Amino acid sequence: MAKSTSPTLLQGTLDLLILHSLGRGPLHGYAIAQTIHLLSGEVLKVEEGSLYPALYRLELDGAISAAWGLSENNRKAKYYEITRRGRKLIAEQHETWDRLSTAVDRVLARQPR
Amino acid sequence: MIRRLFLKLSRRRRLQQDMETEFAFHREMAAAGGNPIPLGNTTFIQEQAFDVWRFNGVENLWRDLVYAVRGLRKSPGFVLTALLSLGLGIGVNTAMFSLAVEFLLSEPSVRDAKSLVYVRQGGNSHMLPPTIEALRHSGVFEDVAGENEESYINFNNGSETRRAFAVQATKNYFTALGVPVQQGRWWNETDANEVAVLHPHFWRTRLGGDPAIVGKTIRLDGRPYTVLGILPENYRSLIGYGYSPDVFVPQYIEGTILAAYARVKPGMTLGQLNAAMPAVGQRLDLEFPSQHELNKLIRATPVSGFARLEKEKDALTVSIFFLILLVIVGLVLLIACVNVAGLLLARASVRRREIAIRLALGASRARLLQQLLAESLLLSLAGAAIGLLLALGVAKAAAAIPLPIPMPIRLQIEPDWRVASYAALIAAFSAIACGLMPAWQSLKESISAGMHRERKLRIRRILVTAQIAVSFIVLTTAALFLQNLLRASSLGPGFDIRRTVRAEVNLPPGVYRDGRIINAYANRALEELRAIPGIESAAAARIVPFTDSTTFATDLTFPDNGPKQRAQFNWNAVTPDYFRAMDITLLKGRSFAAQDNGGSKVVIVNEEFARRYLGKREPVGATFLWTEDKAPYRIVGVAHATKNMTIGEDARAQLYEPLAQIKNDRPRLQFVIRSATPPAAQLAAIRQALRQVEPAAGLEVETMFSAIGFAFLPSQVGAALMGSIGVLGLLLAIIGLYGVLAYSVARRTREIGVRMAIGASPMDVSGMVLREFAQLLITGIAIGLAIALFVTRPLSMFFVPGLSASDPASFAAVIAILGLTGFLAALGPVRRALRVDPLQCLRYE
Repeated sequence: MAKSTSPTLLQGTLDLLILHSLGRGPLHGYAIAQTIHLLSGEVLKVEEGSLYPALYRLELDGAISAAWGLSENNRKAKYYEITRRGRKLIAEQHETWDRLSTAVDRVLARQPR
Repeated sequence: MIRRLFLKLSRRRRLQQDMETEFAFHREMAAAGGNPIPLGNTTFIQEQAFDVWRFNGVENLWRDLVYAVRGLRKSPGFVLTALLSLGLGIGVNTAMFSLAVEFLLSEPSVRDAKSLVYVRQGGNSHMLPPTIEALRHSGVFEDVAGENEESYINFNNGSETRRAFAVQATKNYFTALGVPVQQGRWWNETDANEVAVLHPHFWRTRLGGDPAIVGKTIRLDGRPYTVLGILPENYRSLIGYGYSPDVFVPQYIEGTILAAYARVKPGMTLGQLNAAMPAVGQRLDLEFPSQHELNKLIRATPVSGFARLEKEKDALTVSIFFLILLVIVGLVLLIACVNVAGLLLARASVRRREIAIRLALGASRARLLQQLLAESLLLSLAGAAIGLLLALGVAKAAAAIPLPIPMPIRLQIEPDWRVASYAALIAAFSAIACGLMPAWQSLKESISAGMHRERKLRIRRILVTAQIAVSFIVLTTAALFLQNLLRASSLGPGFDIRRTVRAEVNLPPGVYRDGRIINAYANRALEELRAIPGIESAAAARIVPFTDSTTFATDLTFPDNGPKQRAQFNWNAVTPDYFRAMDITLLKGRSFAAQDNGGSKVVIVNEEFARRYLGKREPVGATFLWTEDKAPYRIVGVAHATKNMTIGEDARAQLYEPLAQIKNDRPRLQFVIRSATPPAAQLAAIRQALRQVEPAAGLEVETMFSAIGFAFLPSQVGAALMGSIGVLGLLLAIIGLYGVLAYSVARRTREIGVRMAIGASPMDVSGMVLREFAQLLITGIAIGLAIALFVTRPLSMFFVPGLSASDPASFAAVIAILGLTGFLAALGPVRRALRVDPLQCLRYE
C-alpha cells in the first residue's frame, strides 16, 4: 500500500513533527501538513486521516491549544498553538528520536556476521 | 485528569460542528492547492478524532442499558418475576440494615457529635453534680453537662396524674451540647428552675399537640413548669437505642446522679484527652477525697459510631444479633439472585443466535458481556428501587410497633446516605451474582452450540441444590428461634403472672422525703387495696422483677465461716405479704412479719444464695455481716428463685429485706396485688383505691401479665424476625425448585412421549420426575445440614439455657418442611409430565 516514493511515517514521529512545525507560531491544520511536507523536502506527506486524530489527541493531552482565527484568505480557521507542556514534550521526543535514529544508523552501518 | 474531563464536557456540544468547519476549510485549502479530494473517508476520520474526545465506556453503557430496556419490555412476565425476587431480597436486606444502623449507629441530636464524649468516673455510669461542676472547671474540656435520663416525673393533665419519663439536666445542658429545638427555645443558665422542653410525642399524645404550648404552664410533680420549647420530630437521645424521653427539665431532685457528657476542645484527640485524665483525677481527689477509688479511673468514650459500641458490653450482643440477621437476609438475597440467574439462563438460549451473529461480525467478548450484564444491572437497579421503598415501609412499620417495654423506645427510620449506598451496593452485588454466570454461559454456548443444553440443565441443577442448601440454613435459624420462644414461654418467671396486678406509684418527692412518711403511705395504701372485694393479698416492694433490678456486689462475712466473701446478688425490699401475693414458695423458715422493722436485721434468700455462700450449712438461722455494718443480718427463710431481668438468665443469688427495715427514702414504690378474680377486671378499682390515698402520685397500674410481657420480647422478636425471613427464603427456594423441574420436564417432553408410547406407565413417568426432585432435594439438604451444624453454633448465645444450637427437633422440623413444600412444588411438573400426549410427540417427530 505504501508507495516506495513517499515513505510512511514511523509510529510516534507524527506528534514530534506536528509539535516542531508549530515551533515558530500558531498554524491551522492544512498549514501544518504543508509545513511538514515542505520542511521534509517534499518527501513526507502527512495523511489527513492521521493528522486530525493526532491534533485532537494532542489538544486533549494539553500539548497544544486550539483557537478559532482568520486565515490569510480571510476564512474562519482553527489555529493550533504549542503550549508549555508541548515544548517539554518536544524536548523529550526529540531525544527519543535521536536515540532511535542513531541506533538505526548504527545497525545499518554494519554487516551482519 | 480533571482538566481532560472538563475539556471533554465543555466541548461536547460543539465538537461535531467544529470538526465539520475545520474539515471544510481544509478541503477548500487543498482544492486551492490542486488536490480535490484530500481527506478521503471524512466520516471515518471524524469518528477516529471523535473517539478521542468521547466517554466511550459511559456512552456504550448507556446504549447497552437502552437496548436492555427494549429487550426487557418484550417479556413482562420474566421482568415481573425477577423484580419481585430481587425487590424482596434487596428490600429485606435494606430494611434490616436501616434498622441496624438506626439502632446501633444513629447519631444523637447534638451539635457536632464527633467532639462530644461520655465521661465515666471509676467505671460508674453516673456521677454526682459537684463532680461534674469540678470537671467543668478542670480546664481540660470545653464544657461538661450532665443528664439523668431515667427519671420519673408525675404529669397532671388536669384530670389524672400519670408517670412521664423525664431527663433531668444541668443548666448548661443546651449550650454545651447544642440540642436542636423545633419550636421555642432551650433553657439557659439564667432561666428559672421550673422550665421544661417537651418531646414532640409527649406534646402530641398528652397535650393534644397544642400549637400555642410554648410559654404555657404544665404541672409536673405538682409544680407549675413553663414550657420553653419542643424537640424536633427526629430527636435522637444521647443514650441511643431509640430511647425518647417525654420531658426535659432542669435537675429537680437534689443529689441526683448524672451521666456526664463533655465537649472536647477543638483539635484534641480522644487519646490526648484520656492521657490528661489521670491529672484530672488527682485534682478531683483534692476536692473529693471520699471518691478516691473512683477518681483513679476517669475515662472518656465517644457518643456515636462504632467507637461507642466497642465500649459497651450490652451492645456486643445486640450487634451480633443484627449481624446474624444481616447474614441471614443476605442468604435470602442469594436465593433470590439464583432464581433470577435461572431465569436469565433460560432467556439466554433465546438470544443465542443474536450473540453468535454479533461475535461473527467482530464484537469483542468483553463488549458482549457488558451488554448482557446491562440487563441484570437494570433488573437489579429496578429491584433496588422497589426494595428501597419496600424497606422504608417495612422498617418504619416495624419501628412503629409499640413495644411492650417499660420505656419509650421510638426508632427514627429515615432514608440516609448509608442506607442508600447499602442498597446500591447490594444491587451491584446482585447484578453480578445473578447476571455474570448466565452471560458468560451464553457467550460460551454461542461458540460451541452442541452441548449447551445439557450443560445448562446441569448448571441449573447445581444452582437449585445450592438454593436448597442455603434455605436449609435460613430455615434452621428460624426454627431454632421459634424453638427458643417455645422454651422461653414454658420456662416462666418463677412467680405468678396470671392472677396478679402490678401498680407503680411515683410519690411527689417534695412531700415524701423520708422513709417514715413513705412507709406510712405504703401501709395505708395496702389497707385500701386489701379492702377491695376479690383481692386476696397485696404487698409493697421496691422492685418487681423484670421491670427493674438492683444488683449488689459486696463483701459478706459469715462469723462461723471466717474470712469475708465476695458476693453478688439481686436485692429487693418487700412487705411481709410479698411472697404470698407473688405466689413464691418459701422452702424453709418463715416469711417476714410486722415486727421485722429494723430492730434486728433479717433477710430471706433463695436457694442459689444459700448454695453459693453457705455451702452445705443450714441457711435458716445463719448470720452474716454486710460490709461495714456492725449489726449482723440473720437469714430467716429460703425462698424459691425467681428470674430477675430475662427469662433466659442463669440462676442468680437473691436476697430480700423487709421494706420496714431499710432506709426507704425513694419516692417510687411498687405494689403487687393478688386477685381471686381475673386481674384485668380489678385495674380500675385498684387505681381508684391508690388515688384515694395520694391523689398527687403518678400511677401506672397494669396486670402482671402485660407488665412483664416484654421479658419474652427478645425471644419473640427473634422468632418473628427469623420466622418471617425463613418463610421468605423458603418461598424463593421453592420457586427455584419448581422452575428447574418444570424446565427439565419441558426439555424431556419428547423423551417422555416416546417412553409412554413404548409402554411406560404413569407411575414410571411420575417416578422419573420425582426421582430428579428427590435427588436435588436430598443433596441440597445434606449440604445444608452439614453447613448449618457449624454456622448456627454461635446462635446459642441468644437461647435459653438448655436449648442447643444443634437442637435435633428443630433440624428434623426443617427437613420435614423442606421435603413437604418441595414435594408440593414438584407436583405441578409431575402433572405436566403425565399430560404429555405420546401420539402428538411422535407426530411432531
